[in-house]
Amino acid sequence: MKRNSKIANIYLGIILFFMYFPIAMVVLYSFNDSRLTVSWKGFSLQWYEKLFSNQALMEALGNSLLLGVLSCFLSAVLGTLGAVGLAKLKWKSKGIIEYVSILPLMIPEIILGMVFLAFFSLLGMPFGMLTLLVAHTVFCVPYILMQVKARLVGMDKALEEAALDLGATPVRAFFDVTLPMITPAVLSGSLLAFAMSMDDVVISVFVSGPRTSTLPLKVYTQLKTGVTPEINALCTLMLAVTILVIILWKIAAGLSKKNKKGRQQI
Amino acid sequence: MKKVVAGLLTGVLAASVVLSGCGGSSDEKKGELVLYTWEAMFPQEVLDNFEEETGIEIIYSNFDTNETMLEKLAQAEGGDYDVIIADDYILESVIQEGLAEKLDKEKLSNFENINPLYQGQFYDENDEYTVPYGAGIPLIVYDPEQVDIEIKGYNDLWDPSLKDSIAITANYRVINGIVNLSEGRSLNDENLDDIKATGEKLLELAPNIRMIQDDNTQNALLNGEASVAFLYTSQVTMALQENPDLKVVYPEEGLGFGIMNMFIPSDAPSKDAAYQFVNYILEPEVAAECFNNIGYYSTNQAADEFVNEDLVVPDSVTKGEIVKNIGEEADMQYNKNWTEFKAACD
Amino acid sequence: MKSKKNQGLFPMLPLLLFIVVFLVGPLVYMVALSFATNNEGYGVTWKFTLENYTRITDPVYLQTFIQSFQLAITSTVIISLLGYPFGYFMAKLSAKWKKRVMLFIMLPFWVNSLIRLYGWIIILQTKGVLNGLLLKLGIISEPLKILYSYPAIVVGMVYALLPFMILSVYSSAEKLDWSLIEASRDLGATSFQAFRTVTLKLTLPGLLSGIILTFIPSMGLFFIADILGGNKIVLVGSLIQDQMNRGSNWPFAAALAVVLTILTTIMIWLYRKITNVKELEGLY
Repeated sequence: MKRNSKIANIYLGIILFFMYFPIAMVVLYSFNDSRLTVSWKGFSLQWYEKLFSNQALMEALGNSLLLGVLSCFLSAVLGTLGAVGLAKLKWKSKGIIEYVSILPLMIPEIILGMVFLAFFSLLGMPFGMLTLLVAHTVFCVPYILMQVKARLVGMDKALEEAALDLGATPVRAFFDVTLPMITPAVLSGSLLAFAMSMDDVVISVFVSGPRTSTLPLKVYTQLKTGVTPEINALCTLMLAVTILVIILWKIAAGLSKKNKKGRQQI
Repeated sequence: MKKVVAGLLTGVLAASVVLSGCGGSSDEKKGELVLYTWEAMFPQEVLDNFEEETGIEIIYSNFDTNETMLEKLAQAEGGDYDVIIADDYILESVIQEGLAEKLDKEKLSNFENINPLYQGQFYDENDEYTVPYGAGIPLIVYDPEQVDIEIKGYNDLWDPSLKDSIAITANYRVINGIVNLSEGRSLNDENLDDIKATGEKLLELAPNIRMIQDDNTQNALLNGEASVAFLYTSQVTMALQENPDLKVVYPEEGLGFGIMNMFIPSDAPSKDAAYQFVNYILEPEVAAECFNNIGYYSTNQAADEFVNEDLVVPDSVTKGEIVKNIGEEADMQYNKNWTEFKAACD
Repeated sequence: MKSKKNQGLFPMLPLLLFIVVFLVGPLVYMVALSFATNNEGYGVTWKFTLENYTRITDPVYLQTFIQSFQLAITSTVIISLLGYPFGYFMAKLSAKWKKRVMLFIMLPFWVNSLIRLYGWIIILQTKGVLNGLLLKLGIISEPLKILYSYPAIVVGMVYALLPFMILSVYSSAEKLDWSLIEASRDLGATSFQAFRTVTLKLTLPGLLSGIILTFIPSMGLFFIADILGGNKIVLVGSLIQDQMNRGSNWPFAAALAVVLTILTTIMIWLYRKITNVKELEGLY
């Protein structure tokens, strides 16, 4: 009975179709030979050429990538250590600490954006990469924290205790025993955090500086002022890279599985 | 699998370092200039030529409204930006707050090119802080093929046949102002009862509004989203360039008028570069290129001979009324009118 | 040896410090700001006032709260109706297809969300794909003005937030013990009864967490209303942004934010009360 009826599968298909239809349009119009999206004027690669010569856009992309990597790294460190600590801590009030840490998921982004703006200007921090990094790290931490926490719950504590009993320092036990086990959670949390950071508009609007625009902010101004299909081209490329990476990942995963099996047989 | 993810992250990291490296390689150049204004206020060639001539790299940073600019500049306490271009009325606040640099005219050899018609204005009576960069009158533009009535003035915008078809700009003072004008009152009316009446009349316009947007509002007209638009001068020019069949209306009830100005913030990080830039833009040929490109009326006398004839001051221009700063209470009421109006639009 | 109670404090310190400085600090500052007096022109005076809160009761601003809630509720209801069956059916797929569908859902996250909205502009605009299609089929004779309308905003909201609902429902439907349903069917329940008494009850945490994960962001996604709504609807989010960036009235913005935070906190509290679940489902 655990199979879906045909209708259910058709339903899944329809929803997925509507998820991808707008994306397909964006991809399609990146090859359009006209600036306006109202009509199809023939196939052209001109927007891809223009994209690479559009310095401002490339710089914004660079900023976004850098910001994504840095904030994802920083939040991975903070989040992982935090989750490990929380798991061991036996305070009654640790629930509050945890609640506050994942608060960024619970309040509308716009509020985070505005409090950052107010607070950073109170501190006199110059708006730019640093303020963006802090803000992004705050909303990235919860993703990693929750992932790692979930992983730790299912983990066998005995292993780490054994390591400690055998004389390993807590730091050593962490790196040799705990970390390898939670790495998948850290990585998948980091990927999610990276995606969220790359995509954020609402918070970045408030904390970006005069010299640092991020890709989503550039797209946002363009959407208000009239999009040039260079943006379509850029997104098509980013999507292509993502798909390529996933395919490579699959292939690599397949290979390593085979390897493992091979070894087991030996 | 972990290794793949790790590799992926490393790859992204490497890519971002390379990309940001491209952006940062300009250290060898002779400094930077942060230019802060609306989108598309300069032809790219003018900026490129300036960079080439001086070796100064221009960082073009955008704001969407005057008020955003003031907020950001105030936060930066007059720093961060080197040259800002914004509208007349906001400059009064900028100057009052001490956020603008008193200009050293010695460094601006082209200062005398400015058309005196645009000087001595209320926001800077002695021309100490500002350099005009184009002037304009917001106008009504429509597509006669899609509109059944002949539009002569603001009052025609209330016509029921225009249901859901008007695109307007998003400056609350200007839109409140033209309602005032349509009733024969001043653009800057400060009488609270009058303003409330304006608010009520504005509400009646709501059903006809298709969209409200400050940037590139003309696109709504060009791609068929709207058949009538109330546009800034530059947008009027751009709309006509794309579609010469559009009709332009100088509203019979009276005109609004605005002057944009350049100024140097009081704590600009590279003042020398800022002076160089302002002076460069004041050169007649350069100014003309700018005006022709952005489609505002020329505020540079020496440039008039190079400017597209449509952009040399028509007599009607200076008869228009400029939006001025008004009392807090009146301003709050205008703001409230605007919020109510927007809420009523859908 | 140190007391075991405090074990774990050391690795947690960086996070604790970071959160206190950069999250708790700003939030406390927001609350303080909401009671401060706004200066005419620019800046804030630290004089206690309740004016910022009383101002919210002005019908204009109450209206924005009501409109925001209406939009959020409309979107959330549609998202639930579309997303719940999806998550449920997805959990019934074979392991291979589960993985594939999951991939299909996650993939769009890597396309900038604004660009995905832009795709809807291409579709919905007056001379766009949808109108073109309808005209060609002869269903309509005049192009529909869908873009810059309320339905367009709802489409945007639903589209942007649907994946969160799907993931939440899926993660709880996945854990469902299917033998329970079978048992209830064996005991003579109709399939609807079985669904209502067993399935819905067991997947409720997922549904509710999906509702929260869509409802809360939809209060703040001001740019969707900007882009697809032609800037005509004032939501609390846009109001806050306006007050911060243009209106120069930070205390009022802070008061709006405090009220919004309280409202969302109540929602989460209710969620925990109803479901007895500590964590939101579907975030991982």
